[in-house]
Formats: sequence, C-alpha cells, structure tokens
Amino acid sequence: MKNFTMALLHSAVNRGRRAVPLWLAAVAVSSVFGLQTAHAQEVIKFGAPLPITGPLAPEALKQKQGYDLWANQVNLAGGINVAGKKMKVEIVYIDYQSNTPRAVQATERLITQDNVQFVFAPFGSGAAKAASTVAERYGVPMIAATASSSQVYDQGYKFLFGTFTPNDTLTNPLATIIRQRLPDVKKVAILARNDLFPLAIAQEMEKSAKERGLEVVYFEKFAINTLDHSSALAQIKAANPQWIFATGYTNDLVLMRKQMTDQRIEAPVVTMIAAPAYQEFIDAAGKGAENITSAAWWHPAVRYKGIDIFGTTESYVKLFRDTYKADPDYANASASVSGALFQIAIEKSGTINRQKVRDELAKMDVTTFWGQVKFGPNGQITSLEPPIFQIQNAKPIVVHPAGIKQGDLRIGVK
Amino acid sequence: MLALQVLTNGLVLGCLYACIAAGFSLVWGVLNVINIMHGGFIVAGSYLAWLAYSSMGIDPWFTLLIAAPLFFGIGYLIQRGILNRVIAAPVLVTLTLTFGMDLILNNGMLLAFSADYRKLILSPPLGSFLLAGIVVPVDRLLAMLLALGLTFALYLILRHSRIGRAIIAVRMDRDASLLMGVDIKIIYAVAFGLGAAMAGCAGVLLALIFPISPLSAGAYLGKAFVVCVLGGLGSVPGAILGGLFLGVTESIGAVVFGPEHSVTLSFSLLIVFLILRPNGILGKKGYE
Repeated sequence: MKNFTMALLHSAVNRGRRAVPLWLAAVAVSSVFGLQTAHAQEVIKFGAPLPITGPLAPEALKQKQGYDLWANQVNLAGGINVAGKKMKVEIVYIDYQSNTPRAVQATERLITQDNVQFVFAPFGSGAAKAASTVAERYGVPMIAATASSSQVYDQGYKFLFGTFTPNDTLTNPLATIIRQRLPDVKKVAILARNDLFPLAIAQEMEKSAKERGLEVVYFEKFAINTLDHSSALAQIKAANPQWIFATGYTNDLVLMRKQMTDQRIEAPVVTMIAAPAYQEFIDAAGKGAENITSAAWWHPAVRYKGIDIFGTTESYVKLFRDTYKADPDYANASASVSGALFQIAIEKSGTINRQKVRDELAKMDVTTFWGQVKFGPNGQITSLEPPIFQIQNAKPIVVHPAGIKQGDLRIGVK
Repeated sequence: MLALQVLTNGLVLGCLYACIAAGFSLVWGVLNVINIMHGGFIVAGSYLAWLAYSSMGIDPWFTLLIAAPLFFGIGYLIQRGILNRVIAAPVLVTLTLTFGMDLILNNGMLLAFSADYRKLILSPPLGSFLLAGIVVPVDRLLAMLLALGLTFALYLILRHSRIGRAIIAVRMDRDASLLMGVDIKIIYAVAFGLGAAMAGCAGVLLALIFPISPLSAGAYLGKAFVVCVLGGLGSVPGAILGGLFLGVTESIGAVVFGPEHSVTLSFSLLIVFLILRPNGILGKKGYE
C-alpha cells in the first residue's frame, strides 16, 4: 500500500512524461487509501518475469508449474501467516519473450507498476544477473530459481538469493567419481554451447578434469542456433576421448546425441548438461539416452524432511505428480522451493517488510524438500549436495551421493 | 580420414540447405516477395511428418506425397487471397505482411504443439554405413537424395511445363509476359504454391534429422537467405550451388576456425558476396 502511494507520488513529482499533477495524485491517493486499506492487506503479490514465448519457452513452463504449485498450496492453507494474520499469495507473470533486456524491463514494471512485494528472477544466469540490478535498486528481495553461475552473484548485491549451488559443485563430484570408478579414462573432450551457463559449466569441467589429472583433448564452443554439429563431432571422434562432456539446452543435446550415433561415436562415458534430467530429452533421444550421465541440483529421489509447506521430498513429488501427471524435475522443484523460502522468511520475520524479509533470508539455515538451505554472503546457496545421475532404462537413476543412491554407474555409451 | 568425412558431411548438409532454399529463391526471384513464412512452412511440414509417423505410422517418404499438394494448395490460396492484394507494392510491404502472417503461423504452432522439441525417431532406425572409412548415416543420405530429387523435379516443372515456362517469362519481364497473354495472378499464385510445397516437403525431410519446434523457423529462414544470396535469386541450379557452397564452407570452417564461428562464417560470406557479387554465383545467368 505504502509502495503504491510512493510510486504515485514519485511519478507525479518526478517524471515529466507521466505528468500526473500533484493535486490529482493527492486526491487519488487519499481515495485509494480510504477504499483499499482493508482489501489490499490480504494479498501478497509476487512478480515472476518468464520467457513464456521464444526459444526458452519450455523452461518458462517448468518454472510456472513450480510457482503455481506453491501458490496453490499456500492459498489452500489460507495463505501465508504474517504475525497471526493470513495473507494469500498472488503471482503476477509477465512474458519477456526470451529476450534479456526485456526481462529487465519486465522486472522493473512488476515492481513499479504492478506493485509486487517480492520478485522471482527471470530464467537463467544471464537474465537473472541483469534483472538483479533492478531488484537491488528498488530494495526488493529476489530469489533466482535457475541461476548457478557464480558470476551472477559477484556484484555485491544484498537483495539477490539463488537456489542453485555454483557450477563446480556439479563438475567436481562428477570428475572425482569418473576418475575413481574408471581409472582407464584419461582423455576428455568438451563441447559447449556459447551461452552463459553452458559455457561456464564447461569451463568448470575443464578445471575439474585437469585438477584430477585428465587430459582435455578438445574444447570448443558452438554458436546458439547451430543446426549441425557434425564437424565438431568428427574432430572429437578423431581425438578419441574416453569421456565426452557436452553442454547446451535440450534441443542442442538431442541433436548432438543423434549426430553422435550417425557418426558412430562411442565412448565409455558421455555426460550432458543440462537436458538429461528432463523427460523431453529422454523421449526425444530414445535409445540414445541410455547410459548418459548428468548432474543436477535436485532429483526426485533425494530424501529430505523439510519444514516448508511441502514437507518431505516424497510429498512434494507426489503432489506434483497428482497435479501435473508427470514427475517433477529440478527446474520445477527449484521454482517451488523459491516460493516456499519466501514464505518461511515472511513467517519467521512476521512481516512483509522487504528489508526484514531480506535479512531473514540472509541468515536462513533450514531443511526443505529441496535440501538444506543456507545462503553464502553473496546470496548464492552453499548447502546443497547435487546428485549425479545416469539414464538407465529410460529413467534418471541417482548414482551419487551414496546416501540416496539408486543404482551403480554403468559404463559405455553406444 | 577426417578431411573426407568433413567434406562428405558438408555435401550432405549442403543438399539439405539447397532444398530449404529452392522454394524461397523461386518466390523471391519471381514475385519479388521475401516470404518470411518460409521457415514456418518448413516447420509445419516437419510437424506433419511427425504427426503422420507417431499417430498413423506413415513413413516420411509417403508423407511427402501428402505434403506436396497440401502445401501447394495452402500457398496458392494465401497468395491469391492475401498477397495478391499488395503484390504491386514495394518489397518491404509484402515482407511486413508475410512477417505478420508468420507470427500467426508460429504462435498457432506454439499453441498446438507447445515449444517442446519433438523428434521423429524411426523404428527400426536406419543406421549408417561405412564407405571408404567415411561414416554415412542412411537417413541423412536418403533425405539428401530426396531433397535433390525434389529440387530437380522443380527444375523440370520450370523448364518443361507450360506453366513453368510462364513463370520464368514473368520473372524475365513481367510486362512483356502480360502482353503475351500470361495471366499474372495465376502465375504468381502457382509460383508461391510451388515455393510453399518445396518448403513443406523440405520440412518433412528435415524432420528425420533435426528436432522439431516452432523456434527453429528462424534458423531455417536465415539459411535460406544466405543460400539465395550465394547462389543467385530465382534459380534452382543457383539454390543447389549456393546450398552446397554453404554446407561445405560451414563444415570446413567449423574444423578450421572452431564450431562457434561457423555461423559467423556463413554470414560473413553473405556480406562479401553482397559487396562483390550481389547476383550470386550464378546470378542473372541462372535462368533455366
């Protein structure tokens, strides 16, 4: 309410092109105050800019499923408990068309025009980093559900939090396991999509591999929208690696896997990030998906007993399955936990005051269905142990960590 | 041998590019219409092939027989009904119109199929064979041969049928053809229909090779543009030469400069050709 008033006065006083006369603003404000005092207090608005159209549309769908599942659960229970008073959740979505500058504009619009109290970051490391500047400027807590690259959190911002651990928490365990389990693997080839996250994680893989004495025989990037990988794959074949590590999004990796089969490229280990967790990849790649390894920040097989609204991992998975008739993947779960974390912070602080909720997030140390949640000083979560999994019989099977292992690592991708 | 493998990959890819571009080139050369919907038609053809295979088990080779007349009809109607009204306007007007229609087509496909990537997986898979140490995937080879076949069929139509000769006449000189009694409206519609049919058939073939999604339409259109400029507008041999040139250059470029630069390479070539030889390799001499 206060923010709405401030925004109106701000625009009246400062912005020439808006030119709302001050007296009109004063009249509007007082009438609005009178009419809306009771009603406005009952809803907490959350802003969610998403790439609903454009190349990243499939990702937006996953995020929206996660956010909506949380919002519905909360509202079914009457709302978030703010110092004894129940307030319902409303999520305001804006489509930024997979275009990062528009994502920044959408975030600003959500804050200044739609008057959301809190905001979720747009999809991916690149857009999250760009939009976090807006959130910081307005002092609005922002949780990024899909930003893993540490470069996102290097601007010293206080209002940005992220639910993905840095990329090396995926590559280091992967490299360690391969090294231990398969001492014959000496050469690794890396092919990365030239995009913030896929390139960042490929670079981390290069580091992790070299640290463990592996030889990186090939490291190249392919342009976004590449329709043909055969030259790169022909070179990889010529280098004869025992481990092929490819990064990109679903369409890139499906195409690459098919072209590997076309060119009869086989290797003891093939790792792909970030598509094998998705059912769409397994369906599209068919038999080619078999024995592909990957890592992610969460998997339906992990077992945590959370204090969040979803409770245990199993109950979250069951709820998701009942609602959407499909298993959740880490993208869905990350979106849901982002909402749940806001809820925990609001309930603990007993207020929807942005600074207080932000402070609560900063000192949080709780168990959720997603895992242990503790944010580092730069806002990025530090407390997860990302599972490594392998597709076996068309299902993602966790092979590490030992506590939730569902199967053993299989060797050989044909 | 790596070099031979790369060259083979490039040639196969080049024939696919030629098929993507042939229809686009025809429409641009004859009607002076830059058909932004071309990419959308290709993706629609891919969806047709996927639907036919996954729900009715019809192989893509047979879907071609459905796609060609279907897309011809759609193209003919769009041209007669909508594009003909602005055909005399500057090329940017028709570009904007086809751009708008492409938005409708694209979003229609997004609504119908969602943006998730589909894949046409043949079962049993066709596999690949070894030829002198080079691996040749059978599905790509078949797609390449059919693509060449289609392009050749278009060439024959243009060269040997009455309506084909009329299309070429209209491209050579619109006003003279009018004086010769050619019904321009019908010719334009037929040419556009042929372009759409080529796009739809190219889409059916590409469904075997690339993942299918409305989001790929832009990438196909970009390739078509480059091939047209390289090979020359309105000429089928030009499309083939341009496609092969692009395919081989991209393949070799990916090895020499790295895969991230292969797209840069193709667009740099585009710029070089626009400056030095804007009519393309075959240019105006490419009339059938």
